[in-house]
Amino acid sequence: MTAALELDAVKKSFGGVTAVNGVSLRLEPGRIYGLIGPNGSGKTTLFNCITGVERRDAGRIFFQGERIDGLKPWQIAVKGVGRTFQVTRVFPELSALENLLVVTRGDRAAAERRGRELLAFVKLEQLAGEYAGNLSYGQQKLVEFVRVLMRDPSLVLLDEPAAGVNRTLLNDLLEAVRRLRDEGRTVLLVEHDMKVVMGLCEVVFVLDHGDKIAEGPPGIIQADERVIEAYFGR
Amino acid sequence: MSPARLFQGGLVVVAAALAVYPFFGTGYGVRALLQLFMWIALAGSWNLISGLTGYVSFGHVAFFGAGAYTAAILITNAGWSWPLACAAAGVAACGLALLIGYPCLRLKGPYFAIAMLGLNEVLRALVSYFEGLTGGGSGLSLPTLQASVPIYYVMGLCAAAVTALTYVIITSRFGLRLMTIREDEVAAEAMGIDTARHKLYAFLLSAVGPGIVGGLAARDQGYIEPISVFPLATTITMIVMVLFGGKGTVWGPVLGAVILFVSQEVVWARFPYVHQLLFGAIIVAVVLLMPRGVLGILQIKYRLPRTV
Amino acid sequence: MNVVITPAMIAQVVISGLLSGTLYAMVALGLALIFGVMRVINIAHGPMLMLGAYVTFFLYSAFGVNPYLTLPASMAVLFVLGMLLERTLVFRVVDAPELSSLLLTFGISIALVNLAQLAFTSDLRAVEFLTGSFVIGPVAVSKPRIVAFAFAAIITAAAFLFLRNTKLGKAIRATSQSRDVAMVCGINVGRIHLITFGFAAALAAAGGTLIAVIVAIQPEMGQIWTFKSFLVIVLGGAGNYPGALVGGMLLGLIEQLASLFLTTQLSEAVAYVLLVLVLLIRPTGILGGRST
Repeated sequence: MTAALELDAVKKSFGGVTAVNGVSLRLEPGRIYGLIGPNGSGKTTLFNCITGVERRDAGRIFFQGERIDGLKPWQIAVKGVGRTFQVTRVFPELSALENLLVVTRGDRAAAERRGRELLAFVKLEQLAGEYAGNLSYGQQKLVEFVRVLMRDPSLVLLDEPAAGVNRTLLNDLLEAVRRLRDEGRTVLLVEHDMKVVMGLCEVVFVLDHGDKIAEGPPGIIQADERVIEAYFGR
Repeated sequence: MSPARLFQGGLVVVAAALAVYPFFGTGYGVRALLQLFMWIALAGSWNLISGLTGYVSFGHVAFFGAGAYTAAILITNAGWSWPLACAAAGVAACGLALLIGYPCLRLKGPYFAIAMLGLNEVLRALVSYFEGLTGGGSGLSLPTLQASVPIYYVMGLCAAAVTALTYVIITSRFGLRLMTIREDEVAAEAMGIDTARHKLYAFLLSAVGPGIVGGLAARDQGYIEPISVFPLATTITMIVMVLFGGKGTVWGPVLGAVILFVSQEVVWARFPYVHQLLFGAIIVAVVLLMPRGVLGILQIKYRLPRTV
Repeated sequence: MNVVITPAMIAQVVISGLLSGTLYAMVALGLALIFGVMRVINIAHGPMLMLGAYVTFFLYSAFGVNPYLTLPASMAVLFVLGMLLERTLVFRVVDAPELSSLLLTFGISIALVNLAQLAFTSDLRAVEFLTGSFVIGPVAVSKPRIVAFAFAAIITAAAFLFLRNTKLGKAIRATSQSRDVAMVCGINVGRIHLITFGFAAALAAAGGTLIAVIVAIQPEMGQIWTFKSFLVIVLGGAGNYPGALVGGMLLGLIEQLASLFLTTQLSEAVAYVLLVLVLLIRPTGILGGRST
């Protein structure tokens, strides 16, 4: 079966500092993956390489068997890779609904209906007309999350989706992520909240100083000595 | 009557009054309004690229000048009628925008702004160099033609067309995508928006108006020279009008053009350097104190849509 | 256009190009520093150069001071003015969108030029100090250009030594690499911005003083220098201070080469076409990369 995403020895450095050091991963379609590691271990850089925001120095990246490294970010997005950002990047002077509409083409009424549905899904339908910049941080996070879904991506990259989202909404959000999986999408998420990772992910990759040091089901990863070492120092 | 209806009604009344004005008004009045229309078209055009995408064009007068020379040359050397020549001027300006915009707008950051800063100087140099065609520094005289009133109407149509185009764009998803470039270009790309292409389209649209208007101004004045059609002051005025009125809105450029043009005519024409100095100060003040301009402030305060 | 190129002409082009290239490098280094440290393109950089030229002109015409001895004065005046502008206006847009900083410095630039029009009028001024040329074999170079080169080379070298070896210079470089890291290292970033802006204005002023002896002084002489300085940065690779040297030399050489075949007016256009071509073919600059 073709992998949803495959990374082959991807490398990226800034100046003299290696951020991602030859990482290889394989994501099977329709599953939820976690990417964890201490601060500065290269998680966000890896996201940026996959989505084309940063150009990798070496290695190959395949999306559904097709090489995507070297494509522009928008081309990768159009192919079906959606992402959120660690610090939310909504369009502040567009309304919440307009944030979702920007990516749609064709029938506008249908697009607006779909946008309102998605906003209702994260309980923001009342705020559809509000400038995104006026929403709370957690609300912006949710707008960004559903904005990704407007394009109906088959691979969703979430950079700390739970950070800043309040407890009641968090459960809805987690449920939403599971539903993405049930619809056949693949999810890769970076998260610091271990409870979220352990409860959600089927396979976890651990990065440390740009190297992948472990990979496996969350239960096993938690017991892995190298992982403990990476998190708690040596 | 709802405020929106009232506003539309007001627009119709103003448009009708302007349409019949040449039959009653003075020669001076026609000239002044013609100038005002020109500024509305220019400011509105600058707003299309810079107000919507946030990419600052410091050389928009280049399209005005290119249009003026295109029309003037076609009229004097090729004997074209002025309406046709002015249409060609719009096309020429658009071609020039493609030439500059394609390399510069593919990149993020200030490259475009600086390229536009230099464009005007270069065109002025080129026009002076190709004397055979352009008359060089001594300028180009067009055959005499008394056409102020027809030009008044065409110029008015240009102003209306640019404003209408802005309305259509701002209410469309294409316009929203342009605004995402201003708001956060990296996020826009990650959403699958081909920002380079969108910027280029906006830029091409923003060049057509100044090209046509430049051609009309050349026909109206009957004489052009490099200094008169490529002044940095024209770009400055466009920018000030949009910033003051409210960038990224439909009526901001119109409001800015009306207020600043009137004050310019009444007060400042007598003090050219003070006037320019004041414009520099207005830019600084607006950027720091009211980045949304007059209309933007009203929008926030009264929660008005962008189209007001 | 039938031009026979002789070895003497090539020597002339290379020498003149390197002479003016050094001047370009010095002025562009100022723009590059502000961009590197503050992420602001200072459109008013060229007008600051113009003000430097006026300082020299007035000291020369009113007190008969040797124009080259006015270097410290013009640099000091612009250093203070630069810091004043930073502290009152520019610091407010450092974190704002690019649109704001570009428009703000554009506004400042217009204000400076028109203040100069009001204060000094638009009359052309000249500092007639050094005349004549040095002739070495077939190559002739005007004396003011050689002196300008010498001073520019010394000032640029001093600036690089300052950036490389002093604590302040290192702090400036650290800030331009990563503001966050600099802050964590206990660097007062606001103060670094202030000093960098003043320093950059002083470099522009030095350029103004040196060309005051070469060309006519008038309020609008500066704007083209903003454009040229930016071109130098693009040629050398943005975010790369030694790149300013390479870019400066390249621009100098290309302009001189163009002047062999074209009129002065058109060789200005060559610089422009060059910018567009570089952006088209190699947007990262000739040196490429972003290492500092």
